[in-house]
Amino acid sequence: MDRIDARAKVTGTAKYSSDHNLPEMAYGYMVTSTIGKGQITSMDLSMARAAGGVIEIYTPDNRLSFPGTMPALGGVFAETRHPFADREVHYYGQVVALVVGETIEQARDAAALIKVTYVAQPPKSSFEDAKQNPADPPSIPGLPLGEVIEKPVGVDIEAALAASEIRVEETYDVPPRHHMMMEPHAAVAAWQAGELTIFSGTQGPAAHALEVATVLGVQPADVHVVSPYVGGAFGGKAFTWAPTLLAAAASRALGRPVKVVTSREQLFTVTGHRAASSQTFGLGADRDGRLKAIKHHTTSQSLVEDPGYRTTAKFYATPNVHIKLSITPDMNLPAATIMRAPGDEAGSFALESAMDELAVALGMDPIELRMTNYLQGTLIEGKPYSSKHLDECYQVGAERFGWSRRRAQPGTVIDGDWRIGMGMSTAILDSGRAPTAVRVTFRPNGTATVACATSDAGTGMWTIMALIGAGALNIPVNRIKPALGDSRLPLVGSNDMYGAVGSAATSTVTPAILVAAQEAVDELVQHATTAEGSPLFGATGVRYDGGRLVGAGTSVDFGELLTRTRTSEVGAQGTTAAADDSHAYASYAAHFCEVKVNRWTGEPRLSRFTTVVDAGAILNAKTARNQITGGVLFGLAAAMFEEGKVEGATGRISNANFADYVLPVNADTVPIDVHFLDYPDTRLSPTGARGIGELGTVGAAAAFANAVYNATGKRIRTLPITPDKLLT
Amino acid sequence: MRPYTFASVRSVGEALGQARDGSAYLAGGTTLVDLMKLEVVTPAHVVDITAVPLRGIRADATGLFIGATERMADVAGHDLVAGPYPMLAEALRQSASPQIRNMATIGGNLLQRTRCGYFRDPATACNKRSPGSGCPAVGGHNRSHAILGTSDACVATHPSDMAVALIALDARLSLRGTDGERTLRLADFYRLPGSTPHLENELRPGELITGVTVPALSWARTSVYLKVRDRQSYEFALCSAAVAVNVTNGVIGEARVAAGGVGAKPWRLPGVERALKGRPMRLQTFEAAVAHAADGARPLSHNAFKPALLCRTIIRALVHLAG
Repeated sequence: MDRIDARAKVTGTAKYSSDHNLPEMAYGYMVTSTIGKGQITSMDLSMARAAGGVIEIYTPDNRLSFPGTMPALGGVFAETRHPFADREVHYYGQVVALVVGETIEQARDAAALIKVTYVAQPPKSSFEDAKQNPADPPSIPGLPLGEVIEKPVGVDIEAALAASEIRVEETYDVPPRHHMMMEPHAAVAAWQAGELTIFSGTQGPAAHALEVATVLGVQPADVHVVSPYVGGAFGGKAFTWAPTLLAAAASRALGRPVKVVTSREQLFTVTGHRAASSQTFGLGADRDGRLKAIKHHTTSQSLVEDPGYRTTAKFYATPNVHIKLSITPDMNLPAATIMRAPGDEAGSFALESAMDELAVALGMDPIELRMTNYLQGTLIEGKPYSSKHLDECYQVGAERFGWSRRRAQPGTVIDGDWRIGMGMSTAILDSGRAPTAVRVTFRPNGTATVACATSDAGTGMWTIMALIGAGALNIPVNRIKPALGDSRLPLVGSNDMYGAVGSAATSTVTPAILVAAQEAVDELVQHATTAEGSPLFGATGVRYDGGRLVGAGTSVDFGELLTRTRTSEVGAQGTTAAADDSHAYASYAAHFCEVKVNRWTGEPRLSRFTTVVDAGAILNAKTARNQITGGVLFGLAAAMFEEGKVEGATGRISNANFADYVLPVNADTVPIDVHFLDYPDTRLSPTGARGIGELGTVGAAAAFANAVYNATGKRIRTLPITPDKLLT
Repeated sequence: MRPYTFASVRSVGEALGQARDGSAYLAGGTTLVDLMKLEVVTPAHVVDITAVPLRGIRADATGLFIGATERMADVAGHDLVAGPYPMLAEALRQSASPQIRNMATIGGNLLQRTRCGYFRDPATACNKRSPGSGCPAVGGHNRSHAILGTSDACVATHPSDMAVALIALDARLSLRGTDGERTLRLADFYRLPGSTPHLENELRPGELITGVTVPALSWARTSVYLKVRDRQSYEFALCSAAVAVNVTNGVIGEARVAAGGVGAKPWRLPGVERALKGRPMRLQTFEAAVAHAADGARPLSHNAFKPALLCRTIIRALVHLAG
């Protein structure tokens, strides 16, 4: 089914955060630091203040009020230091001033006139240097990231590796990466009678409201986040960042609405990014390919990026495993946060590259190696998986792709000036669902509202809610009016407030729609028999059937019923619990990639990609395919292009713009062959849907790298795989 | 962007009359407006020349003439360009993005500024933007930078694809200043950075490019522009080559070879051309001919691959022409 919001989006009638313009609105423009570490000694604001239209300039010497601290997970996954906290500069590109002007042009013009003087110190910005001296990560109660995972307890992994007949040990490096969603972070804030309404794009409206409220020192109920349309997020809008806090605080201070929009350049530093990581994999196997030992030791800038925890414990069976994360604390870099498949993207690149290297060392087909070590339940607890058809993904994928035509010997398939290679990889992504609430409401105009405080960051949730709502109420989909992206919509607690994260929105929200629909129907039947003016007043045995109330030899559409009873709405809220923990839940895919590498100049070009996906029931094939295609390309972009280039000496990101931070364009893509197995996972939920949003990303880079190896015989262990690395 | 005054003119004479210290001509605006937003350039006076009649694409026995304000997209698609000079059309088509090619002009393309990230960031030093301030690119992130014709003061790459093809084609510029009209070989137009990287060309104050002339070269029909870059659109060249050959009975009579992405200016390679002349059109010839293509190269910390890439890009172009 087409997206129900597609027309509004392509015709420009869908209003994103920065599209809101309010009476008396002022514009804030951020000024960012041009050193990586040090102190601000003075700020000359005289020229800026003298420029036209300047209302106020906030700086460390003229602070905005941020009395609270970032709550809950925001304290781990977002920047905890508030803008203008002091005169210290912790990273290049940190907000040092906010100019508020009558127009955006005036604010930006004045911002350019501010002269900041610093005392600079050498920053700790080089991850290459810092990773030489890593530290243990902090332990965060309730958060499993960063914990050592070992099996058996006290395992001597080096001895286990040494005892293995075939060993592979290599290090895989992944550079920092930035979300670069089309819509930059932007907020329009307005206060009225102590209550804040803020248009600010977010994946979790309720969490966003809680974070803004806590940091600003007001009650969460007094902050109303409105975010019906989000122009891409990828984890970058899961938590609250400076632009939103600045808009909210400046609006409060000035008593008028304030809009703050982040420039593309600023987006690289004032919001989060995926931290760089360096992973060492040791794989030990016997000659038949059975894994005897897996060592996965990672060093990352941040606890946020933990590839070992995210990946290795759920891919392959082995008697000995040791997973450890080290971090490089206190770096003079922007804050790291979650980014599409956090940990999974980097971890699957390393693990699935290492498995390919092991297959080469064994002289074994890569799929056969993976089937030899197939995991039926979780590696550590031995918990069974709810519904796993990864073996079928391999089999169907190999057939669709023509895997049998692959030559094991690298560099042997040539087409003119191009060397052709095939590679494959596994994708596994944990699935789950949070407890949540949905409200279903019948209205006299014949429509029914399906409402939940979740988000649609381009994922298709608007459409899924309409589709599942229509199915549950058995009425045409155009009679369903979904409501989402609003912090005042229903939710039940601490997990679902984060909304669309962890590829869990569909599996979380859709079961609650079924519950709420049933309860709303019960209310409606009750109403039909008890409300004055109802043609079914006093009737018995009334039932709901496809939008009509049927009984006593007659029937009435619910719209007409509510019109006759002069009732504006009848509905109910339904809640669901989390999935039971008798099983483990995950989505799976097998990726197959073909590349061609120019024999003269080394450009690696994507030529074919097939992925076969086992992600439970596919509720809407069109948006699901879209998610997988986008996810695959997201992962391939890491393989081919993306790298935040940090200057070690200054902390400056040298390619912080859309021309130099290389994202794929249409010319770099091919039609991606996506095939869904479509086995409903009824253990996870009645709708049988599991997560897909991040699944395509997992493993995609490894499939590409493995194909490059097959084409050229060159194993590239540092992303991205650019032509210079393949010049022979 | 800093405040500036603005004038729109309808003739070359009016344009020259508006030119003054600190003024800039505005044509497609794809470089100028971009750099004004970044405050890399801050003209006090902007003179819009888009209404000046400097259009026209014409050909006769002596060659091809292209008016300075013709748009890149129009030139790339023109029959008088695409057929006789494939490498010129290809260079244009592989530049920038369709949106930019629909706006940017030929004159502006020849004057576009380098894509060096330090030049484009006023928070950093740059001898080209702020003479004497230093060159952080020498020890900084310089993967895309030049290896030929550079100096300690500047290692920036000339960004134009089209200029590489035009250099290979021995193009001439028509210029108009208050002193009248003159012509100049494009090869003599660009300066090497030396100790004055802010002086990029021989344009006199207020002087306007009015057109480009490509001398007739019948065998330019056998030519190619080959551009190597990370992604396949909207990116500057890591290395590019404009190559034309005149082959008779399998022997190369003459060749034209120029390279982009490697030089401080569009880089003609006469040594390679000489080494191809009189040799059979085959791989051994190509490999021998590029042996000295990168002589004198000064690779930097992040672009040590460029000398090899230069040689291989030329070989690939020649292999392509050999069919």
